[in-house]
Amino acid sequence: MTGNGLPLRFRGATKHYGTQIALHPIDLDVEAGEFLTLLGPSGSGKTTLLNLIAGYLAPSAGQLFIGDREVTNLPARQRNIGMVFQNYALFPHMTVAENVGYGLAVRRRPKEEIKRRVDAALAMVELAGYGDRAIQQLSGGQQQRVALARALVIEPDVLLMDEPLGALDRQLRRNVQLELRRRHEERRRTTLYVTHDQEEALILSDRVAVMRAGRIEQIGPVTELYRNPVNSFVASFIGESNLLPARLIAQDGIQMRIEVAALRHTLTLPVTAAPMKMGLADMPLQLLLRPEHLVLDDAGPLAARVEEAVYLGELTALRLRLESGADLWLRRLTDRPITRGMELRVNWQPEHVRLVPQS
Amino acid sequence: MSGQTRQQRKSERQLSGTPIAWRWAAQVGANLVLAFLVLPILAVIPTSFNQASFISLPPTSWSLRWYGNFFADPEWRSSLWVSLQVAVMATAAALALGLPAALGLQRAGALLRPILTGLFLAPMIVPVIISAVAIYRTALDVGLNGTRIGMALSHAALALPFVVINIGVSLRHVDRRWQQAAAGLGAGSWTVFRSITLPNIIPGLVGGGVFAFITSFDEVVVAVFMAGYGAKTLPVKIWESIRLEFTPVVAVAASFMILLAALLFALARLIDARRRQVAGKAAASITTETITDQGVPA
Repeated sequence: MTGNGLPLRFRGATKHYGTQIALHPIDLDVEAGEFLTLLGPSGSGKTTLLNLIAGYLAPSAGQLFIGDREVTNLPARQRNIGMVFQNYALFPHMTVAENVGYGLAVRRRPKEEIKRRVDAALAMVELAGYGDRAIQQLSGGQQQRVALARALVIEPDVLLMDEPLGALDRQLRRNVQLELRRRHEERRRTTLYVTHDQEEALILSDRVAVMRAGRIEQIGPVTELYRNPVNSFVASFIGESNLLPARLIAQDGIQMRIEVAALRHTLTLPVTAAPMKMGLADMPLQLLLRPEHLVLDDAGPLAARVEEAVYLGELTALRLRLESGADLWLRRLTDRPITRGMELRVNWQPEHVRLVPQS
Repeated sequence: MSGQTRQQRKSERQLSGTPIAWRWAAQVGANLVLAFLVLPILAVIPTSFNQASFISLPPTSWSLRWYGNFFADPEWRSSLWVSLQVAVMATAAALALGLPAALGLQRAGALLRPILTGLFLAPMIVPVIISAVAIYRTALDVGLNGTRIGMALSHAALALPFVVINIGVSLRHVDRRWQQAAAGLGAGSWTVFRSITLPNIIPGLVGGGVFAFITSFDEVVVAVFMAGYGAKTLPVKIWESIRLEFTPVVAVAASFMILLAALLFALARLIDARRRQVAGKAAASITTETITDQGVPA
């Protein structure tokens, strides 16, 4: 992958406040031109990670490199990083053009060059001619694009975005997501993007890092995280999931036998259905069945009654009550009407089943 | 259309649940309080235009006689001039000390901040007469009694709390992320302060400056102690005159003080309004806010 911007390397970088650990030591490599999303609930350390890169926080230990340069203790102003803040942090006393041109003005670029590059940046975010407007005259979506133009006009080595779409309404958010992806594919620039919206992560990213409590739980392409989550937390954070408590009965090099109380069945799974081969016996396990992998099948092994049928347009989501009393969600294309109380049978493909440690 | 609006207004009133009679009573009451506060002050102005050589209300016949006397008397003229000089110096000193103090207070830790704030506000809380004696005694040691500099510095000390409070309120409206964003875009800390922080605390600087000026301009207790012959301010001169000869010249001097105070506050509002016009809503109306927060200086 050849891209604009520089690679980013964390070597054991960590942050704590007294005894409070905001970020456990992290080793992380982001390629030049890669779009990496940090996904996690609030307090998971993703904004701390971003602030370490931006230089707004100094790591308590460890090192951080941008390209070949160590920036661990370099002040923010010497890092050449573009940042888009959650609420944009546009300067309220400046016009749109002054905001966008700020990074160039403090670099003491000539006036003509600033004007030319600001105009180009505004044109890029489709705000040509808005230069003289006051920030307060712009809508939320326009402000978001000014913030993006301001971050990009300095040609940053790394672009950081901290929940940049949080303040936009749903429809607009979707449009901007697609726009951001298009822009990234045109001019690949190393980008770190923080969000707690998994859909956003799916749309935008080359790779996703799922974070929790100051650690990266799993990092990889979205499809990998979806198919092979390392634990039930990642499984529930990426995509929809049914998680059922399971117990390992027997295991050899090829297969494992597990008992799932909710299904009133024992299942035989290939060992590849679990993220790791070792130590499963000692930990609480959960069976992962994605709602979209469950199918209605009169010959299926599982009897269920429809408790709830939610019409989602082309899809219908069904909440099914099993004989054991456990609930399962199932998603299917809407074809025939299914109503509450109907008795159905459910089936699935063995290769779609995953066994994950509960966490 | 207008009928509909009236209808709406009426229904809003009903929704708010307060009977109209009560609203009227509240309004009348508020106006009475306002009159109680303002009328005695404004009453001075007509008495300054009195022809007679004693203070009476209403004036028996109108004249500018006492204005002429005011400007003909070198002592009155010089006291006005001294007051203006001292107030300008005091304002400059209070701003120069108050701005760094407010910036420092904002960064102080949660433990230290309330203590430091208390210390900075002390001149407002300690009775002025005590400050006056303390300042007088200290000034004797360094030979600043009876000098304009000495007077200006004492007034700066009294005015400092108002500056620190006004700028402090302004600073609370400055988003830390603006400063972070500017630093991230390559600005050093001085550039961040000059281009981001300072423009956004102008309302606080103006408000604090106006308060400092007025504090100095109408201060009499410390001034009586510190005046001597070299630095007799207008309030001191008024004080002396009242004790010797109670003529409407005193009312003229008082009218000047009222006029100046009114002009300054009007100016502060104007600057604020212009800023808001330019920068829109975000630059909050901090001047008025701090005035209502803190009341008028005693």
